[in-house]
This record gives sequence, structure tokens and C-alpha cells, in this order.
Amino acid sequence: MKLALRELRRRPGRFGAAGLILTLIALLLMFLGGLLDGLIRSSTGAMYALDGDVVVYTASAEDSFLRSRIEPTLRSTVDGVDGVASSAGIGVVQLGARLADKGPRDLLDVVVFGPEAPPLGVDALPGDGEAIADTTLQEQGVQVGTELSVGPARSTLTVVGFVEDTQYLGQAALWTNPETWRTVLTDNRPDQQLGDGVFQALTVRVDDGAVAADVADAIDIATGRSTASLTVVAAAEGLPGVEQQTATFNQIIGVTVGIAVVVVALFFALLTVERASLYGVLKAVGARSGTLFGGLVLQAVVLSAVACVIAGSAAIALDAVIPPGSIPLRISGTRIGQSAVFLLVAAVIGCAFSLRRLLRVDPASAIGSGS
Amino acid sequence: MFLALKELQRAKVRFGLLIAAVALLVFLILFQQSLQNGLLTSFVGAIRNQSAEVLVYRTDGRRILQGSVISPDLEAMVRSSGAAAEVARIGQGTFTVTPGEGGDGVPIETSILGYEDPGLGAPTTLVEGRLPEGPGEAVASDADAELGFGVGDTVTVLPGGLDITVVGLARDVQLNVTPTLFVTYDTYVQSVRSRNPDAGEPLPNVLALRAPPDVPADRLVDQVNGLSDELDTLTRADAADKAPGVAQVRQSFQVIFLLYGFVVPLVTGLFFLIITFQKASALTLLRAIGAPARTLLTSLLVQVVVVLGGGLLLGIGLYAALVRGRIGGIPLRFETTAVLVWTALLVAGGLLSSLFSARRVMALDPYAATTGAGVGS
Repeated sequence: MKLALRELRRRPGRFGAAGLILTLIALLLMFLGGLLDGLIRSSTGAMYALDGDVVVYTASAEDSFLRSRIEPTLRSTVDGVDGVASSAGIGVVQLGARLADKGPRDLLDVVVFGPEAPPLGVDALPGDGEAIADTTLQEQGVQVGTELSVGPARSTLTVVGFVEDTQYLGQAALWTNPETWRTVLTDNRPDQQLGDGVFQALTVRVDDGAVAADVADAIDIATGRSTASLTVVAAAEGLPGVEQQTATFNQIIGVTVGIAVVVVALFFALLTVERASLYGVLKAVGARSGTLFGGLVLQAVVLSAVACVIAGSAAIALDAVIPPGSIPLRISGTRIGQSAVFLLVAAVIGCAFSLRRLLRVDPASAIGSGS
Repeated sequence: MFLALKELQRAKVRFGLLIAAVALLVFLILFQQSLQNGLLTSFVGAIRNQSAEVLVYRTDGRRILQGSVISPDLEAMVRSSGAAAEVARIGQGTFTVTPGEGGDGVPIETSILGYEDPGLGAPTTLVEGRLPEGPGEAVASDADAELGFGVGDTVTVLPGGLDITVVGLARDVQLNVTPTLFVTYDTYVQSVRSRNPDAGEPLPNVLALRAPPDVPADRLVDQVNGLSDELDTLTRADAADKAPGVAQVRQSFQVIFLLYGFVVPLVTGLFFLIITFQKASALTLLRAIGAPARTLLTSLLVQVVVVLGGGLLLGIGLYAALVRGRIGGIPLRFETTAVLVWTALLVAGGLLSSLFSARRVMALDPYAATTGAGVGS
């Protein structure tokens, strides 16, 4: 083992080629993962911020706020279900918002939420005509006190605070109280206006100890299947594109890990060939094959770890220089760590390809070996 | 040459691993190219492949068909301006639809796009059947035919129960990664009413314009945009390319392609550099007994070409076998242009990267054979 580490320290150039390629592959893994995280969070952040365990839509709405309508009578039925601690109405409207100092066609994409319960990270709902904005709007010049003219009716919303990580389908959320949302909806989307007490959906908090998925099923049974109730996680994953993006990117990441396995296998096979005579000598003086293979694995792991550190730094730098609003990259420690684990596992598996060759090295070959 | 092939035969694992790595990378690049094109087509194919040259959105619609609503005063403004030779309405909405018999019967989100004039909004890529000629008829995307949107299938708009029969299929006409139906404007209005009987007369989402003879589409765009800041007029290509998310998807994939594009020549180049170092003594000996440098160089290049060729063939074969069908609702297809472009790029990159090894081979000094040293020393 010491020999393996000493070789890495004394002759780093020998491992430079494999290290460079592993760094690129690690960067690819982190970039792909970061892209997936960015895409998913920009779609689902607001859903995870909902203060509830279950989201209730009407059954025909196909899990879409815009097509769902929860009447007060239906809500009463939901409230009466065992396991339901409380419910809160919620409504959504997607609109363009204008800033006074921007061009007439330069609109911000916003989603006005009107929940009865404030989102996670917000203590209380704002007053009438006010909104708490997603922090991504700060990059567009929105500050506390900024007045946004929302929708074709130019409804005025004054920003009174910010909350992090509440984007919805790639658009920044503006959290208002239900009355303000209802006014904005009626003024800008008269064809979608709702009567008093009617919301697009409900968020439900379940009793302590109750299982959210079970309560969701109970709600749908109680309403005669006129509702489609989902846990918050399922509702977020059910948003358009989320499942497809996750599946696609995970497949690409999987194949990239496969490539890492092949690349590690290739370079360590080359190294093993190069050192065949040396291994013969080491075996002749008593070194066991397991020890030699352990050294090989150690080198691959150290090399991969160094590649991950460099790639992780590069990914963080990339995240910092990519302008907001272009590539939805979200590099997190978790993602870097996960990619590093993938690469380290790939390195160990890749090394296994050299095991057979290493076992076949005959100590007798040391005799008379001049090279 | 003989030596090059003999070495390939003898060192199957080494060269096999390299070919496998190149093949996997080629497959991944091509697969992602199909994915990118499929994704963009699924998002905006219905806009790109419809017949109207110029589309007028409401600025507040943020270039989303469904988000744009053209009010009567804005429509009157465009019509009375005389800028366009013809103006027609387009309406679009997302509906819950029960697919026809070919599908699994489970209701599915579907985009319905209604146009007034076949020359201003109808699909231009019909591959089967005909355009709708009356109420209750539609052209569907051919990618969705197997989901119950094939010719002859009757789909039902929920909850009202309006039946629409598919009479034609068009290529690359999806919208928002959902099954898409092109219908007459009247059928679109009926669909809206079927969903919500109280909806009244829906307003058009966009206006489709035909430019007068001798007026280019770009000038028409400027003229209509000059009428009001409330109007956001775009050519067909711009409407597709500037739709929300399209630029982001393109930029993201470009970075991914760039990284993968680097890995292939790097892996190939460094592999051959390492084995050139490893073979240094043998190559020097060959030079000493009279083998010309050109022969050794040719051997190297033959190996590079065999490895790249093998990797490309395997990768393209894998791509051809696996790319058919759909992934997450996105239709994928074999992209011949992408195959040709990437083959050229990767062969060029691979050969370029092997120049480092070639330089080493050319620098071999036959005299070094007498000292036992090679190029690496």
C-alpha cells in the first residue's frame, strides 16, 4: 500500500492522463447532476414549500392547479376525513410582470400564489396588494418595496419580502394572500375567475402519526373519487416534465458512470501491463497478489478522489460564472458528493479488470528480467 | 501495417476497452443529440411546423400560446392596420382527453390547437390522411398515434364528452410534450365549451398573419409591433426558437456536448501516447533494424483508425438500436445529420490527438537501441 502511495507521490505524471480524463468525467457527472437538480428545483420548489402533507385536486384536473376547482362543499367533505388535521385553500395564476424601469416588452415570468397558509420559510401571509417574492427575482432587480405591474390588467403588487427556493415550472413565485390572488385572477384572467370560497386546490395537514399517502387515499374515497389527492412529493413529481427529466438525466448519468468504469479499467490495465515485470519481482520477494491489487485499487481511489476535488471546484466555479436565467445549473454539496461516490465506485470496479492479469503474473518471471 | 493488426489481435483487452469507451461516448453523444432535438420538437414542433409565417402574441403571454390572449381591441387594431394581407385566429388550450381505442383508455393531457384558415395555422407536415374539413375532426402528431391518436381513432374531451375523430397525422407537431390535435377553430371553441359550458366565446390566443406580396415577414413583424407595445409579433422561426425554455435547453446541451466531445479525443490520444511510451524500446529496435519511421507511423494511424472506426460503428449501431421509440413522452429518432457531423468531428479530433504519439514515433533515434533506451527515456 505504501509503495502504491509512494509511486503516486513520486511519479504523478504517470497518472496524469487518467487523472485528466477522470476529472473531465467527474465534471460531466456533476454538471449533469447539477443540471437535473436545477431543472427539478426550478419546477418544483414552490410545491415543496407548501405548508401541508397532501395536495387535493379535483379528479378531472389531471393534477393541474389551473384545471382544478374545489367547492366549499367538497372541502367540508375533505375536512371530515379521519386523519385530516386541517386544510387550506390555494390558487395559482401564471402571468407576466412589468418593472417600471424595464422595456414595455421586457416581462418577468411570475406565478402568483394565493394560499390560505403561508409557505414554509414565511411567518405570515402579506397584506392586501402585497407579495413575498422568490429570491430569483432579485437577480432581475426586484427589491423590497418594488412595485410590480402584473398581467394585462397591470395589477399592482408591492414586494414586502423574499423567500428562497419557491419557483414553479421555471417561473418565480409571488406569494400573496387569497384575497389578493383572487383579485389578480379576476382582473387578468376573467375566464378563470372563481366564486367566493372556491379554490383551485387544497393543501392538507395530516394528524400526528397519520401517513400522508393513506390520508390521501381516504380523502379520495370519501369524496367518491371526485378528488385526486397526492402527497406533496408525489404532487411535485407529477408536475409536467419532472418525471421525464429525472428519468432521462439519470439514464445519461448511468451511462457516464459506465464510461468512467471503462476508462479506469483501460488505464489501469495499461499500467498493469507496464508493471508486469515489477509485479513479478515483488511477488518473488513475497508480496501477495491481494496486496498488489489493493495498491492498484488505492491508486485508482486516490486518483478519482483528486479528480473529484478538481472537478468539484470547477463545477462550483462554473455555477458561479453561468449567468442567472441561462442554464438552470444548481451545484450542491450533496450532488458533488454523490458524483464522487459514483466515480469512486466506478474506479474500484474498473480496477477489477486488471485483477486477472495481476494474478497471472508469475514470480518466476523475475528471474532474468532485465527491464 | 501487419504489426499494427497483429498487436490489435494480441492485446484484445486493451484495445477492446478503448473501443468500448469510444463506443459508449459516441452512443451517449448521439443519443443526447436525439434527445435535444426530440425535446425541442416536443415543446414547439406545433409552432415550427404550422403554416402561418407570422404570429402575433399578446406581450403578457410571454410567448406561450396558451398564456397569450388577444383582446378584441387588439385584434381590431391589427386587422384595421392593413399591414397583413390576411389575418386569422388561432386558439390553443390544454384539455383532458380520453384517447381512442388504440390507447389504454386512461385520460391524458392533450393540447388542442384550432385555426380558422388552413393557410394560417394548419400543420404543414402531413404524413397520413388529410386535414380536418369539418367539425369534430383533427390532425394528430404521428408520435402519438400509438397512444390512441391514430387515424380513425375518436378521442373524447372531458368532462363535456365532445368527440373528435383523428383524420390525419403530421410529423413533429407536438406542443409542450403532450399529444397535440390540430382542429378547425369551431371545433376548438366547442372543446372549450365542452370543458366549461359557462366559458362563453373564448378569445383567440394568437393571430396568424400572411404578409402581402413583396413584403418580407421581418418587415411585417416590425410593422405590427409598431402598432402597440401590447403586441409581440414574431416570425414562425422566432416564435419557436424564442419560446420559454428553448434557449435554456440548447445551452445546457451545448455544454454537455462540449464536455463529451473533449473526452473522446482525449481518451484516444492519451491511450496511444501511453502505449507508445510502453513500446518505446521495441519501436526503437524496429527502427534500428531498418524499419522506416513512416511504416511505424502508418501502423500507429492504422490502429487509431481501427479503434475510432470500431468505436464509431459500435456506438452508432447501439444508437440505431436503442434510439427508436419514446423516452418520457419525447419521441426519439435516428438523426443522420448528427451521425455524420459527429463522426467527422470525432475522427478529426481522434486523429489530431494521435499526433502527440506520432511526434514521439518520428523522434525515435535508432542509435538508442544500442543503449537499450527508448523514446520515453
